[in-house]
Amino acid sequence: MARTFFPTEKYGTKPATFSLLPFRFMRLNSKELLVNEAGEFLFAPSGTVQDLAEGSVPINSELYLDLKAKHFLYDEASSPLFDLLATKIRTKFDHINGGTKLHIFVVTLRCEHSCDYCQVSRQLTTRGEFDMTPATADRAIEMMMDSPSPAVTLEFQGGEPLLAFDMIQYIVPRAKRLAKERGKLLDVVLCTNLACITDEILSYLRDERIKVSTSLDGPAFLHNRNRPRRGGDSYEKAIEGIQRCREVLGHEGVAALMTTTAASLEHVTEIIDEYVRQDFHSIFLRPISPYGFAIRTRHRTGYEMDKFVEFYKKGLDHILEINRGGYRLAEVYSQILLTKILTPHSTYYVDMQSPAGGAWNVLVYNYDGDVYASDESRMLAEMKDWTFRLGNVHRDSRASVFTGEPALKMFEASCNQALAGCSDCAFQSYCGADPVYHYATQGDMYGHRPTSGFCTRNMSVLKHLFSRIEENDRDVMRIFWSWITGSAPRTEAALCD
Amino acid sequence: MGPASSPAQATEIALVQFDRALFSEEVVLKGCYWLARDFICEIATADSASIQVTIKPRQSSSVEALPFAKETLIQSVSDFALREKIDAKTSGIRDLLLAKAFSEAGVLEDAPTGTFGDKIEQENPQGMFKILGSC
Repeated sequence: MARTFFPTEKYGTKPATFSLLPFRFMRLNSKELLVNEAGEFLFAPSGTVQDLAEGSVPINSELYLDLKAKHFLYDEASSPLFDLLATKIRTKFDHINGGTKLHIFVVTLRCEHSCDYCQVSRQLTTRGEFDMTPATADRAIEMMMDSPSPAVTLEFQGGEPLLAFDMIQYIVPRAKRLAKERGKLLDVVLCTNLACITDEILSYLRDERIKVSTSLDGPAFLHNRNRPRRGGDSYEKAIEGIQRCREVLGHEGVAALMTTTAASLEHVTEIIDEYVRQDFHSIFLRPISPYGFAIRTRHRTGYEMDKFVEFYKKGLDHILEINRGGYRLAEVYSQILLTKILTPHSTYYVDMQSPAGGAWNVLVYNYDGDVYASDESRMLAEMKDWTFRLGNVHRDSRASVFTGEPALKMFEASCNQALAGCSDCAFQSYCGADPVYHYATQGDMYGHRPTSGFCTRNMSVLKHLFSRIEENDRDVMRIFWSWITGSAPRTEAALCD
Repeated sequence: MGPASSPAQATEIALVQFDRALFSEEVVLKGCYWLARDFICEIATADSASIQVTIKPRQSSSVEALPFAKETLIQSVSDFALREKIDAKTSGIRDLLLAKAFSEAGVLEDAPTGTFGDKIEQENPQGMFKILGSC
């Protein structure tokens, strides 16, 4: 039976005028994309922003109601609902709440791989002087626990951290004890290539509830090309290690990350298919990092960011096709951005935040006690550039690390709200600032957006995702939402229920 | 009068003039900024009423791309002028919103001065403020 409603006039008089709320805009696909301070967006017909500026949007139009509902304007009949909008803005900035959450411990620089793209100047496997000492570890644990964050993540990196397994065994119980004393939640993650994994180590990881993150660059021919080691069996070791981890730690106990080298660019579908073959349900299409040792070898591994963007777009299409076929596979970078675009929330992904995640949300404790703003900062130091060395655990406190000159200089270039090219950008709420990347690639922490690889990548990926959202394809949107919520894509039948 | 684009005086440059009554120096600079990857923009005072931009291709770009660059600049400067208008109407309320958002987040050492509540809603007994406040 058809429902009838009172005419809208019954619920109140039409306002005579309206006022604007702050927003940014850009042109996309012959429309105007408007985004407010809380990251809420609206696709509007071309000419809408001009009409808003002139106060000539028809008050009795559907567009007016949409603009009002999404906080682009207010009128005498609505009031601006400042409290609600301020709460939404605060939610969008939740990542700055609580202090540094991710703490990376570089327990050794030793590694038995010799990857061209490695960002670290790896050392021979027998050289103990590149290992963290117990005294340094004690001080680093203290500094980690001095963070006001109620939950911290301790991540072991290297080199290959399993070559210093005794140091991991030294750090974990001490960190757990101190976390308990300070009332903090503690997560522990081990980043390893799995080549040195043993039953003893696996039992230890299971007993201590340590999660594993490993590298998988694609099928054997590509992985072994990207990640050479004696014997040429990096892929075989990684796959065997993943299987053993799953047997002992459970299927979700191990995650994998890939790096896109020049050799990877032509093989995006093969890389994705490899992740499906290995029964992973997420893949992060990551460009190579232009830091540290990778700079020396960039003639072999590097490429223009435009090529990566094409790689990403082709990969995303293939991933969507796989999801349509019934296999759940999320692309992690898209998942992060879609969460920012389609929900009120921010994310804790430190490479895409404003203020930049370096130091605010991640600190790196190097084997020698030096403290860096991010993993990438430490990699610059491997190239004898100590711009982002914030201090040393033996000489500094958390307070002095955060108030020292290196940190203050970096913080000045850490907010995209105040950067040329970013301050007017419609994507500001979803994007971030990266002073370390821009210093490494352009020699300037502030960066030059028109020539920035960071801006090229994020602008292109965001435009691509917004184009897909604007198309409003039912299948694509249910897949996007399944990535955000972590659930299986809902079937057509479920959508109809 | 809007931006006036004159025919290129030479084959390797493009000229665009912006009426100062409509376009500030700031918005012209912002428009030129985004062309900087492929073009060099020289900005000069043509006369008291206009700003002149000379666009030259960099080595990485081609002369054939100049008409597109000119069109892009005109659109871009017009959009920045629009943003300037929006900003003039909303910057006060933006400051207020951000101050309110962060003053209640516990991240400021000193609370900002002023009243940040939604006065209309606070005074309305059936208003959204009361509904949210009782949650």
